Amino acid sequence: MRLLGRMLGYGALTLVALVLIFPLLFAVSASLMAPHELSQYPPALLPAHPDLGAFAAVQRVIPLSRQYFNSVLVAALVTTAQVVTGVLSAYAFAFLRFPFRSLIFGLFIATLFVPYEAVIIPNYLTMANSGLIDTYAALTLPFLAGGVSTFLLRQFFLSFPRDLYEAAIVDGTGHLRFLWSILVPLSRPAIASLAIFQFIATWNQYFWPLLVTRSPAMQTLQIGISQLQNADAQEENVVLAGVVLALIPTLILTFAAQRHIVRGLTAGAVRG
Amino acid sequence: MKRYSRAESYTAALFVAPSLILFGLFIFYPLLRSVSLSFYGNDIIGRPGLFVGLGQYRTLFASPALRETLVNTLLFTLYTVLPGLVVGVLLALLLQLRLRGIGIFRTLMATPFAFSVATAAVVFAVFFNPGVGVFNGLLGLVHIRPQPWLTDPGRALPSVAAATVWLQLGYNVLVLSAGLGAIPEEIYEAAKLDGARAWSTLRHVTLPLLTPTLFFLLVVSTIISLQSFGQIHILTRGGPAGATTTLVYSIYLNAFAFGSSNFGLASAQALVLFVIVLAITTFQFGVLERKVFYR
Amino acid sequence: MRLTGRRTVLTILILVLAVACGGGGSPTAQSSSDPSPSSLPVEVTWWHGMGGTNGDAVKALSEKFNTANQGKIHITPTYQGNYDDTLAKLKAGIQSNQVPTMVQVYDIGSRFMIDSKQVTPMANFIDAEHYSVADLEPNILGYYSINSKLYSMPFNSSMPLLYYNKDAFTAAGLDPSKPPATLDEIRTAAQKLTKKDASGQVTQYGFGAAIYGWFLEQWTARADAQYCNNGNGRDSNATKININQPQDVKVLQWWTQMVADGLALNTGRKTDDAAAAFMAGRSVINLESTGSLRKYQAGAKFQVGTGFYPKSEPGSAGGPIIGGASNWIMNARPKYEQNSAWTFIKFLNQPDNQAYWHTHTGYFPTGKKALDEPSDVQWRQQYPQFQTAIDQLHQTKLNKATQGCLLGVMPKARQAAEVAIEKAILKQAEPKKALDDAVASIQPDIDQYNQQVK
Repeated sequence: MRLLGRMLGYGALTLVALVLIFPLLFAVSASLMAPHELSQYPPALLPAHPDLGAFAAVQRVIPLSRQYFNSVLVAALVTTAQVVTGVLSAYAFAFLRFPFRSLIFGLFIATLFVPYEAVIIPNYLTMANSGLIDTYAALTLPFLAGGVSTFLLRQFFLSFPRDLYEAAIVDGTGHLRFLWSILVPLSRPAIASLAIFQFIATWNQYFWPLLVTRSPAMQTLQIGISQLQNADAQEENVVLAGVVLALIPTLILTFAAQRHIVRGLTAGAVRG
Repeated sequence: MKRYSRAESYTAALFVAPSLILFGLFIFYPLLRSVSLSFYGNDIIGRPGLFVGLGQYRTLFASPALRETLVNTLLFTLYTVLPGLVVGVLLALLLQLRLRGIGIFRTLMATPFAFSVATAAVVFAVFFNPGVGVFNGLLGLVHIRPQPWLTDPGRALPSVAAATVWLQLGYNVLVLSAGLGAIPEEIYEAAKLDGARAWSTLRHVTLPLLTPTLFFLLVVSTIISLQSFGQIHILTRGGPAGATTTLVYSIYLNAFAFGSSNFGLASAQALVLFVIVLAITTFQFGVLERKVFYR
Repeated sequence: MRLTGRRTVLTILILVLAVACGGGGSPTAQSSSDPSPSSLPVEVTWWHGMGGTNGDAVKALSEKFNTANQGKIHITPTYQGNYDDTLAKLKAGIQSNQVPTMVQVYDIGSRFMIDSKQVTPMANFIDAEHYSVADLEPNILGYYSINSKLYSMPFNSSMPLLYYNKDAFTAAGLDPSKPPATLDEIRTAAQKLTKKDASGQVTQYGFGAAIYGWFLEQWTARADAQYCNNGNGRDSNATKININQPQDVKVLQWWTQMVADGLALNTGRKTDDAAAAFMAGRSVINLESTGSLRKYQAGAKFQVGTGFYPKSEPGSAGGPIIGGASNWIMNARPKYEQNSAWTFIKFLNQPDNQAYWHTHTGYFPTGKKALDEPSDVQWRQQYPQFQTAIDQLHQTKLNKATQGCLLGVMPKARQAAEVAIEKAILKQAEPKKALDDAVASIQPDIDQYNQQVK
């Protein structure tokens, strides 16, 4: 009886896991196929003679290494900036007393209620009018600060013993010094969660980079992958090889830093 | 009358300024500009032209297309949010089984989380392909007729939604597992001592204690769903016959696609979206939250 | 202008932030009154929408030109994404005063380009030095000429063809050297070509083409009818599209019936999906651009045949319209820069370069002499099917119908036509009703556009 239950459990788990990882398995398998194996009907599920030709072919269609670099750079810039602006404003809201504090905090919260698509046209026009289409500036500027980051870090800072803060300030430690040498090191888990969350969110962006980039050299990987699909000589093994390459960083983060991600998600995803 | 330290106020101003300036430039100013754009027409190049007052709104509300896009948006949200939550809970419960190697399954089931909207949509485009698709190929093996996954107006929206549910599941399972993991062991043991069976423990203990997590997911996935763009753009471009044109996709079509630069009309639509998101968020926080069981 | 002051402050702030981020734009346009270049070589920027192998050919030709004009002119081609993206980028560029010297715009963007008042007509350069366009294909020039005035120089041109699987024709007992020429003939052939397996599932469809608005435009011209009014928008700006005429209804009825009877495979709007089905042998007769020939030759495991684009009206004298894109010179750039772009355009028109372009991309050569170049002759031996395309081009009688419709909102009109085809095929509306709806749905856009450019 016990054994039967366990078998059922494993059976269900295996079935569900297979369904959930099928797209990944298929992408990997197809990326090792020859072009004709996917353009026949019914398409093959496993490569007859696995080879890495499709991976080399990706670079022929899109400037993959450049787009990889773009994606890493943009995600890193945004993540760093979000952490810096977030830490600074969260510090102000958690520790400092100043006029209009709740009003300003209200403004920060208000940003959580504005769906990005509601402001995407004016932001596009701003970039177009300033001649910033197709620049890293356009890709990063609107995302350098976020209400979520501030909100998340403020919550964390609020749990910090206030005595410690007051003692430090009475001692004559400057705010920046306290922030840098005491608060930030102690908040490392929260900052790590935020950073991972932000990195993945930026890495995965689609709508905005689609609008503000045009040349392949300035596009991010996500856009490049979808362009692969539209390329003249569309070969699906090449498209899926591109997908597999684009998945590597997020797969590593998903598998290696799951605990951080969950914390970042639950705290961070107050907005979409 | 509160008194503030001048130095502290300056520091605070300096600290909040970077975020505040960025919000001003990229959220608050654009929101106002959306309002102002929606009162103007455009010249053919996309520069704001004539003041048209409420003209864009009249055009918008008079056209049958708005109703159609709103219905599509609503259906898409329903098709993605509810299955995402229900299946998510089932999977998370399955992952609570005390079995050796459950950690491996937990990791594997998070796989969809590693996919972006674009990578997921590109893979599903291969699955759904009308002529040489993987899904139809698999169905053929068991002698089921090929399905018009994306080429039939009644089928396209559920198909895109199914791909979205798969994509969301990784996230939902991660969050729900964390929620389940946070329920203290003692509560279960107390229930066991009371002689509660598995089903009634689930109904009367686990699910109520999971409501904050469920509520959180409901809000988040509703908003994410309302904002869906990439999967529609890659899989269907809003077709066939407009069957997958949601509000966000319609904004894109009017403002950026097919040589169209109708920023005025698209801004009016963007404000409709803003109001809808605001209403849902307020409703969810105001009404639903009261029914949520908080520990 | 509204909000000018605030806008300026905003722009400055953004630029400051941009510089801090290491961004920054390219230099703004100089005024066009500048008499002479400040330094040599003259820098010419060319925005284009040619990706992949076509983009490689663009690069190769530009490099050849740069080598030949060292120290005088330097051309920089930059890929801007597909045609829609290129046009969107151009609009953004006009707003921020950052436009290229030359830009490649798709055929259906021509009316917009003229109405934008941002271009120097090609005729100005041609007249100034009595440049001869006698070698250029009249049917290609026809599309880009309005009131006999050439506004842009055709660059990449294609026509739709009928492609078919010769092996499947032979297997079905049809003559593989005789492609169907009319819609009725396609239907008759498809009845023989469609195969089902034991369980009743269709394994091979007789016909399969993408739901592509371009095809409806072609059928209209093939029936010698005009897609939009006012002489296909060539006498004056069109105020109405005419795609609900009997010949259009007939096409749609035919297509709907083909799908309903299981003779045609509906793969939706993406041309790539229809192409994949054709190459995999799922459909036997396909409609595609001449530019797809090389892909089909390489990807299909059967003998690929080509035929003229089918007619809906067997007796009609019409023919297909040229498609593709042309190069435009922007009038905001300094005169010497525009002249340098003109020099490059003349270079592109040379027979040897046209032969290179033709054989490396599959587009038509724009000039007739290119066909006599040895490389071109050899290429056509390798792809004998391309002769069909050239014959079709030469046999098409140039008139307002085959010149094609010029309409400011043509890209949107094409979308409206696609919705109509979808609604008919998917049985959401009768063909006539679907087309009437399309005509009605595009009307506000046409009216608005005409008001905007008045």
